[in-house]
Amino acid sequence: MRTFLYIVGGLLLGLIIHIAVILTLPAMAANNVASRLAGLAQLNTIVALDPPAPGVPNPLRLDPELDTVVCRLDLAKGPGEVSGTLPDAFWSVAIFDRSGAVIYSTTNRDSVGLTLDLGIFDPAQTRLLAEQKIDVAAGLLIVEARSDDVFAVVRLTSPQPAMRERYRAQLQKLACRNLRA
Amino acid sequence: MVAIALGLGFGLSWYALTDGRYFGAAQIGPWAAWPRAGLPSPDPYTRAYLARTGALQLGAAEGVQFVATTDSDGQPLDRNCRYRIDGTTPISSFWTMVPVAPDGTLIAPVNGPTHFESARLARAKDGSVQAYIGKPVSPLNWLEITGEGAFQIELTLYDTTAFTGAAAATTLPAIIREGCA
Repeated sequence: MRTFLYIVGGLLLGLIIHIAVILTLPAMAANNVASRLAGLAQLNTIVALDPPAPGVPNPLRLDPELDTVVCRLDLAKGPGEVSGTLPDAFWSVAIFDRSGAVIYSTTNRDSVGLTLDLGIFDPAQTRLLAEQKIDVAAGLLIVEARSDDVFAVVRLTSPQPAMRERYRAQLQKLACRNLRA
Repeated sequence: MVAIALGLGFGLSWYALTDGRYFGAAQIGPWAAWPRAGLPSPDPYTRAYLARTGALQLGAAEGVQFVATTDSDGQPLDRNCRYRIDGTTPISSFWTMVPVAPDGTLIAPVNGPTHFESARLARAKDGSVQAYIGKPVSPLNWLEITGEGAFQIELTLYDTTAFTGAAAATTLPAIIREGCA
């Protein structure tokens, strides 16, 4: 009987440990995607990530087929904007928040074709936007962020390896800034 | 009691974040994916998994990544074996298939092709793919790999119907081991 109680107690304690591990791990992990992005990205600047090459560590597990740029935005200084013209190939945008979750993502297939025009607003700015106290251009894709510290990640493919340099240069010409000072 | 508690607590946590089949990962044949990795509020298991890998995950609109660590018979993938990848993939704009070391480093030879891209593959008349990954020269689509030990295959579907409920059953290619050196 006592052995049985010990086993049941052990199982219950084990489940508690398991739940504690799962819930605390995201906060404890030092090398999660948010801290890696924070180390790479610069405020209001497009930074190109090196495409992975054989034998070179690839901690972000990037796809060798795509070129990736990142940019950090601080919405406390005003709504963020990621805009520019991209080549006629598959591209996608993801907005990450400080916890490393993707709060918004889209591709050229389900939005506007060649021109990317994305505005990122925190909850207070979204309210002002709804009250029409912030003027934005028509056709701006509006993303609501839960916090002020966000990362934009843009990925672009090129149909042929020969076009890749040119496409990558165009990707790096994207604007990433605050909408107003 | 303490031994049971520690073993169950940490063992279950480790299992949930590596294999994860009953905890949030979807398993299709040898392929595993975390369908909620690209959502704004992932569940605690997905969140812990993302923190553990530190990979730059795709947003839900961008695509879904499947990872295979075993062949279709459940044997771990070994770089000394030749594998045939045979079958069809869910609808997507395009997909890539990248053999990587367990830490994410590409294992193709330096200056060689690093991955398969769906638009640049020879296909059978019914549209299915037959591709080979291994050291010996192989017919049709062949990707050379280097080194020793275990490896993984990352299959990334961009702009896909997988896990949206829009498609019928999701079928993925089989991974068939064809002899080892």
